[in-house]
Amino acid sequence: MTTKVEEIDGKFVATLIGELDTAAAAETEKALSPLLNSDGKDIIIDCTGLEYIASSGLRLLLSVLKKAQEVGSHVVLKNVNDVVKDVLDLTGFVSIFDFE
Amino acid sequence: MKNQTNSWIIRIGIVVIAAIVVEVISFIQYQRVRSMLGEEMDLRTHVVMITMAHEIEHVLELAETTLAENEWDIVRNLNQPDSLFPVVRRLIDNNVHVVGGCLAFMPYYYPSKGRLFEPYAFKDKDGTISLVQLGGPDHDYTQNSEFKWSLDSLRSGWTDPYHYGPDSLSYTTYCVPIFDGKGRLATICGLDIDLSWLGDTLNAHQPFPSSFGLLLTQDGDLVAGPSKDQIDWKEVDLVVDILDGRLPESDYPGISIRSTTLDRDPYWQVVQVYKTDEVFSHMYELRRQSLFFMLLGLAILTFMINRFARNEKKLRMASEEQARFSGELAIARDIQEKMLPTEFHSDIFGTLDPAMEVGGDLYDFYIRDGKLFFCIGDVSGKGVPAAMLMSVIHSLFRMISKKEESPSQILNVLNKHLCGRNDNNMFVTFFAGCLDLYTGKLNYSNAGHDKPFLLTSSVSLLPAKANLPLGVFATTEFEQQSLILTPGTSLFLYTDGLTESKDKQHKNLGRARVQEVLESSLAQGKISPKQLVLALRQEAHSYSYGLPQSDDLTLLCVRYNPSKMLCEKLVLSNNSAEVSLLSDFVKKYLSQIEMDRKVSAGLRLALEETVVNVMNYAYPSGEYGEVTIYADSNYREVRFTVVDSGFPFDPTAVLSADITLDAKNRPIGGLGIHLTRKLVDSVSYCWKHGNNVLTLTKQI
Repeated sequence: MTTKVEEIDGKFVATLIGELDTAAAAETEKALSPLLNSDGKDIIIDCTGLEYIASSGLRLLLSVLKKAQEVGSHVVLKNVNDVVKDVLDLTGFVSIFDFE
Repeated sequence: MKNQTNSWIIRIGIVVIAAIVVEVISFIQYQRVRSMLGEEMDLRTHVVMITMAHEIEHVLELAETTLAENEWDIVRNLNQPDSLFPVVRRLIDNNVHVVGGCLAFMPYYYPSKGRLFEPYAFKDKDGTISLVQLGGPDHDYTQNSEFKWSLDSLRSGWTDPYHYGPDSLSYTTYCVPIFDGKGRLATICGLDIDLSWLGDTLNAHQPFPSSFGLLLTQDGDLVAGPSKDQIDWKEVDLVVDILDGRLPESDYPGISIRSTTLDRDPYWQVVQVYKTDEVFSHMYELRRQSLFFMLLGLAILTFMINRFARNEKKLRMASEEQARFSGELAIARDIQEKMLPTEFHSDIFGTLDPAMEVGGDLYDFYIRDGKLFFCIGDVSGKGVPAAMLMSVIHSLFRMISKKEESPSQILNVLNKHLCGRNDNNMFVTFFAGCLDLYTGKLNYSNAGHDKPFLLTSSVSLLPAKANLPLGVFATTEFEQQSLILTPGTSLFLYTDGLTESKDKQHKNLGRARVQEVLESSLAQGKISPKQLVLALRQEAHSYSYGLPQSDDLTLLCVRYNPSKMLCEKLVLSNNSAEVSLLSDFVKKYLSQIEMDRKVSAGLRLALEETVVNVMNYAYPSGEYGEVTIYADSNYREVRFTVVDSGFPFDPTAVLSADITLDAKNRPIGGLGIHLTRKLVDSVSYCWKHGNNVLTLTKQI
């Protein structure tokens, strides 16, 4: 699981590649920590390479979203594949995230 | 019933109307023929009468002519009284009808001869002529009415008929006054004509036994008629009375009288009488016969039409019945076909070809609790009765095997059911098997059915004890046998419709041939159940090519294919870092059973959530614990069983997370159980032998 966070044009862009399962959750949480202090900047999470997500992964996404909403940042999930989308669907995340 | 009555009334009505029409036609024909015949009869009578009249006239004329021709001879000899005898003789000699002749002289014409003088000549029976002088005290001809009439009228004429002589024969006399040279009336010359022949002539050729001809005078007195032995004389009297007007003719419609009058003196009437009954009696008879035959014909026609109609109705009803029965049979066949399992896959295949619309064979299979239950059976007999029993057995097999795993027990119960209500003594050969898809253990029991073939690398018969068929004795205990199948082993089951397929010489296909075909299929690499079944079906069909199928043909092939029935196990510690081992295990297992990618992802997630939950919470923090995952599957479902020895915990009792909340109000955790529930078809928990056992099942 590879996680990369960049700041491009005043927006945070996080790129998730691989399988975000329970084992990878701790490492990914660390990697995503810059997003928790977004200072009002919008966040784009690029899921093009995200093949799988477990509930621990969802927990990370939810943490990011909660923090962002507190400071008025906008979170967008980009290029979510159908497997991940199904999981988001089953958990109601589809209604709280924005997609691109 | 009412329709039937109506139809009978209509039929009888038609017959009655037809009979009336026939009668009317017959009556009209009769009337026409009768009138024609009447006319013909009249014409004929008329001709007869005219002929008779002419003949009579002819005779009379002859007599008159004879006298006229000899008058001079008489006059010439008046002065010699004795010479008059030869004259009279000559007078009668020239005419056959004249039987006598006389010259009745005026009183004292010859003073020498006294007051009365009458020379008379007559013929006796053989024609000899005798001469006599008749006048005298014993024969005063002046008192004779004819003589008087001649004196008064002084002209010639015919007397009314009279009877004379010992035979009382009928005569008439032609009287002519003769004057002498001085113009004095000298004598009355009479010529006697015998009339008795007239009656004979008139009645010589009567067309009917009771018809007769008469000759009457102008006044209606009888001149000549039939002889008394010919006819009842009363009838002649009756006719005479009618003609005289003494009796009205209309009172005697049965008597037909035709008459014609002579054109000349004495103006007699020729009469022909016949009875209409007699004339038309042939016609009555004819009419009766023709009516009888027409009615008979009508009756026969009616009978035939009735028969035709009835036959036609029977035929129609039979064909309707046939159509209905065929329709019902087609439905029955459809129902029967639908009872057979159709969820074939690469490791099981069966076919059933009934010989008739419906059949008495059956096969079935289904998977329950990782075990494949299958059976094949053949009900004695064919057609509808066999099919009905087959349906009963099929249902019973399903019902019993739902609760009973042992094939022999299934057979025992099935047998008791059948024996309990088998009044028709039908029996069933049956083979039931139960294959454990995880272990390859096959339990089976045979009730008199053909031994299945066992196909490994070679073909052999499954060692199956025959036992009695089902439905023979309620007390039969069926023996169960077992065999562990090695992977790839197939079982080929069939009914005797296969081995007893007949060729044109009525030779059976035979079990040896079945084995050959199976072996050659194996050799050609055709090893899937479908290939094997279709190969044998084709063999049976081509063996009996062109002949009607003699018996139901049922084939079933089951292959034990453990690659599809994988059972694997993974043991992990309660360290969530090992969850990647779980992912690998699940992914590998699911790819082995060729699971769909998306479903696989869902199962992996469900399992990860479950196992992580156990890792995190089953054991006290910091304490080592294990979680064991079993994966198994059959053709219908894949099953994961998660076992741990930690705190008893039933995740199925946990309430699902509320997924409708917005981000702010959402708890960070609690999604795991929710996801698991959503991603599999069933989650079941039990506490068994000190372990939490959680089973996730997903239908394939």
